[in-house]
Parts: sequence; C-alpha cells; structure tokens
Amino acid sequence: MQQWKVLFRKELKESLRNYKWLWIPVVFVLLGITQPLTSYYFADIIEQFGALPEGAIVDIPPPTSAEVLAGTLGQFNQIGLLVLVLAFMGTVAAEKNDGTLIMVLAKPVAHFNYLTAKWVHVLVLAVSSFLLGYAAAVYYTILLIGSISFSQVVISALVYCLWLCFVMTLAVCLSALLNSSGLAAFATLATALILSIASIYAPDLVKGSPGMLTVYSEQYLYAGEPEDGFWLGVIVTAGLIFIMMSAAIYLFKNQEAAKNAG
Amino acid sequence: MNELIASLQEVNWPLIAPLFLLSLILMITALVDCLKRGQTNGPKILWILVIVFINFFGPIVYFLFGRRNNE
Amino acid sequence: MNLIETKGLAKQFNETAAVKDLNLSVREGACTALLGPNGAGKTTALNMLTGLMKPTQGTIHFHANYPGDRREYLGYLPQHPKFFGWMSGLEYVTFAAQLAGLEKEEAIARAKEMLDLVGLTDNRAKKTAGYSGGMKQRLGIAQALVHSPKMIMLDEPVSALDPIGRREILELMKELKKRTSILFSTHVLHDAEEVSDDIYIMKKGEVVAEGSLVSLQEKYRQPAIVIETERNLADWAQLIEDKAWLRHMKTEETKATLTVENIENARTELLNDASLQQLNIVKFEVMKTSLEDLFMQVMN
Ligand SMILES: Nc1ncnc2c1ncn2[C@@H]1O[C@H](COP(=O)(O)OP(=O)(O)O)[C@@H](O)[C@H]1O
Ligand SMILES: [Mg+2]
Repeated sequence: MQQWKVLFRKELKESLRNYKWLWIPVVFVLLGITQPLTSYYFADIIEQFGALPEGAIVDIPPPTSAEVLAGTLGQFNQIGLLVLVLAFMGTVAAEKNDGTLIMVLAKPVAHFNYLTAKWVHVLVLAVSSFLLGYAAAVYYTILLIGSISFSQVVISALVYCLWLCFVMTLAVCLSALLNSSGLAAFATLATALILSIASIYAPDLVKGSPGMLTVYSEQYLYAGEPEDGFWLGVIVTAGLIFIMMSAAIYLFKNQEAAKNAG
Repeated sequence: MNELIASLQEVNWPLIAPLFLLSLILMITALVDCLKRGQTNGPKILWILVIVFINFFGPIVYFLFGRRNNE
Repeated sequence: MNLIETKGLAKQFNETAAVKDLNLSVREGACTALLGPNGAGKTTALNMLTGLMKPTQGTIHFHANYPGDRREYLGYLPQHPKFFGWMSGLEYVTFAAQLAGLEKEEAIARAKEMLDLVGLTDNRAKKTAGYSGGMKQRLGIAQALVHSPKMIMLDEPVSALDPIGRREILELMKELKKRTSILFSTHVLHDAEEVSDDIYIMKKGEVVAEGSLVSLQEKYRQPAIVIETERNLADWAQLIEDKAWLRHMKTEETKATLTVENIENARTELLNDASLQQLNIVKFEVMKTSLEDLFMQVMN
C-alpha cells in the first residue's frame, strides 16, 4: 500500500506539474458552459448575424433543460473524450519508450501497483473534470433555461461516468500492452466509436454494451426512469472494466520490460 | 448598428464572463508552459501563434502535441 | 560466498543468440567486470539478472540469505539511464528509495546522503531534464545505491563519458567497492583492470575467459618487446608481420609493441635486423604484457 501511494503521488505530481490538472478540467467546464449559453442565445445569434431574408420571423422553440444537458453530454463525448484519451495515451507506453519504465521496474515494484496507481489517477482526473464540467452545465441550464430534477441530473451523470471510466480503462490497458502511444489512442477511440455507432443503429442488439450507457444516460435525463437494459449495461460495463484491468496486469507482468535493441 | 449595441447591452455579462475568463486561463497557462519549456515539438514561435490566435483549440492542441514527454 | 550464480543462462532473440550458456558467479564484496566488445551480450546478461528480461534457458540463484524478490537486494544502472525530467535529482532518488520500501523521512535522508556521495549535492534541486551526461550517470548510481542493495549492476558506467568524467566514476567505483558488491560491464580493458577483482571476458554471447584479475593476468601474460625508433617504423613492421615467433603487434608511428612466442628467438632476430637498425633505435625493452594480447584477440 505504501508503494502504491508513492506511485500514485508520482502520477498526481506529474499531472500537476504539466498542468493536466488545470487545463483538462477547464476544457470540460468551457464545454459545459458553452452548450447552455449557445442554446439560450441561439435565436438572438441567428437574428443578429444569420443571413435571414428581411422580415423573416425567427421562431425556434426554446430547448428544454433535458435537451440542453443531453447536448452537453454529446459535447463531452466528442471533444472531451478525445482530449482525455490523447492526454493519457502515453501513460505507460511513453515510459516504456523513453526508458524510465525499466528504472522503475528494476526496483522491487509490483506490476499491479504500477498499473493500478496510473489507472486510478487517470480515472480520478477524468471523472473530476467531467463532474466539474457537468456541474457548470447544470448551473447554467437551470439559470438560463429552466429547472430539472436533481435525481435525473445525478443519475445521468453517474451513468455517463461509468462510460468514461470504461473508455479510460481501455486507454490505460492498451497503453500498457502496446508499444506505441498513438496506436493505443487510435485503438481506444476506434473502439469507443464502434460502440457508439452500434448503440445508435442497433440499440436492441447491444443492450448490455458499454456504448449504450451514453444513450441510457441521455434517456434518463428525458424520462427520469431507467430504460430497459439500463442495469444490464451498468453491470456489463463494470464487469468489463474489471476484466480488462485484470488481463492487462497479467499480460503486462509477463511482458519483457527491457527492450535493449543493441 | 444601434440595434447591435442594444442587443449587446441585453447580453447578460456576468454569465458570459466565465467563458472569457476560462479561455484566458487556458491560453495563459499554455503560453507560460511554452515559454518556460526548453524545447517544444516544432518551432516555438509557431506554437505561440497557435496558442494566442486559435481560441480554445489552440492551447489544447499545444498541451496535447506541443510538448515532449517527460519534461 | 557467491551472491548471485547463474547456470546455463541463455537468451535468444529470434535469430540472434545474445547470450549462450552463461555460468556467472559474483562473489560478495567483490567487483566483477563483464568485459567484451559491443554486441557481446553484456546488457542482455545484466537485464536477465535484474529480472527485466526473461532468460530463454538457464537459472539464476540469489544467495539464500536474501530471500524473496531479488530486486530488493539489487541496484541497477542501465547503459542509458533515463529519469523523469520534471523531477529534481533529489525528488528522483527519494522516489526510488520509497519504491524500495523506505519511509519518506528515511528516504529523503538516504537520498541526500547518496547525492552527496556521488557529488551532486549542489545540483540536487535542479530538474533532471537539465542534467549533463556525467550528472545523469552519477544520479543513476545514486538511485541504484539508495536502498543499500547487496549488489549494484552498472552497465557501461563510463563508456559515454569524457576522460575526466570517466576518471571520476572509476574513483567513485573504487569507493563503492567498500560498501557493496559491484558487477559492471565495459568494453575497455583498462577500466576492467583498474577496478575489478574478477573478470569475465565475453564475445558473441559466450565467455571466453574468466577468473580473478590476478590469475588471468598470470595465465595470459605474454612476453613482449617494445621498440622505439627515431624514424617511422610502419614499413618495417610490414616486413616482419609474418614471422612465426610473432603473435601480435601494435604499432604507432615510431613505437611498436610486439607480443612474441619465444623471447630468445625474437630478441636475437630483432637485434640482428639491419633494416630495423637503420630506423635508429632509441629504445628496446623486453617485458610482459597484461591481458592486452588476449583482449585484442577477442576484439578482432
Ligand atoms: N531486443 C532485441 N532484439 C533482437 N536482438 C537483440 C535485442 N537486444 C539485443 N540484441 C542482440 O543481442 C546481441 C547482444 O546485445 P547486447 O546484450 O546489447 O550486447 P552488449 O551490451 O554487450 O553490447 C547483439 O547482437 C544485439 O544486436
Ligand atoms: Mg550494452
């Protein structure tokens, strides 16, 4: 446990020194604020700057709070996720390639500690950034658009968090198993994309898929009650996170740490 | 023109201010990091231009790709 | 007492047999050198000893007095040590100490002590990204030593350094011999002769000679003749190249070192060599070489 804390603190310090703990939350808050603001001022903006024919009446029905927050989740799922994956694609792979990993593993370091310390740190940063951004979005939405029930907001946020954790777990695992940061990022984003597409085009076929969590989280905002398949998705995703992490630790341990190409 | 000014006055500035403030924080952090750093991936002056002139995305792209790992 | 012993250790990379049937033992308290040209398999051997690489064959035994994970008793300086550039030297060594299980206070105290030992006290607050090659090497030694290992393994600790840096590290190693066993690799005979007690000479993955420095020097010592002349002796050297009594010759402008089979024959013949006398001999010395001859054969 002592060793785990040392490794976790190293991750934390590193991300504080390179400002990841500042800029990533700021990006999420900006994304969170922008969506309600643009929704609110949308009509105004069109009226002022849009190339509408003289005398045209702008009549767009104002969006509901649920719609605005669902839109925000959509933003998080595109720019937010992209930023998080790219920011952490090298968390292990880069240390392998620059030679710092063998310096660490030459000490009596347990592979489990090394990998889970990184994993927990990445999840804490990702979830904190998301929650901050989402809180800002909720605040602006209530202020500008209208109120929404507390439980709807919280449960949709929790479900979305689980999806985020799934994607970031995949990113950390692939970073540990592949030798290239870029490849790890690409494979993670491709998987996320395929899961999302499947959940849009064939939701009935993939009820338990992690990709459905974004759908469930948005639907909870609208309906205020769990959709059919909601719990299945939650359980399957949590299980997959556990399996991916266990497999990654096992494979990472059996990997040759030193590459030494002559 | 008067219409524009009128509508600008209607804008709820306290609500918009955080948007500008946070964008500014993002930009300044990236700028400070870039200037303090010994070497960037690619010409430093280019990164400075990207950070300053491309709102929001400029600093993000710098943070993701402008820095060498491990420094 | 042997601290670490390998039996039939081998490592195969696809086609390349990087290490073959290595039987190595490192005595506690001794300084052991792995000497060999580039590609001999030194780094591969050390990586297997630390556990960073898995042997294709063979076993590694650490002394039974030190049970459990052998990394607890080992310190390692890789050939190209790399650090987290955003940490200061002190932060890095403290981090390394804590990884090995030291409590924070103790880790900091030990780290300071080690940095002092390697002469980095003045630079300990500086980010390691700004360290020079020599400083990195010394920082690498400090982090290897910080948890008081029974043995440190240094992979080519002086190869990348200028003559002054080289001198400093060799002196430091002589100092370290008093505290811990050392296993280090080098491709320079002189470095091995200067600090080591035992030597393994490796070539293409195999050990070609092993033993204590003294015994090896005894065994492989060859009679030799050193000739110095006023004129350049390169042309003359070509004339005697094929003589049966000559084992090996090294020439530099006006100086030649000849390792010979039979000192009497060689002396008589050389002193009667008219073409040599025309070069105006200024020195003619009969002596014994160290391991140079053996090492030259290995290197070529
Ligand atoms: N990861 C690797 N893959 C393939 N061949 C390797 C690898 N590492 C080392 N080798 C080969 O093994 C041999 C020994 O290398 P090495 O142990 O680095 O030698 P040394 O440290 O003595 O210079 C060399 O021929 C080298 O090319
Ligand atoms: Mg080597």
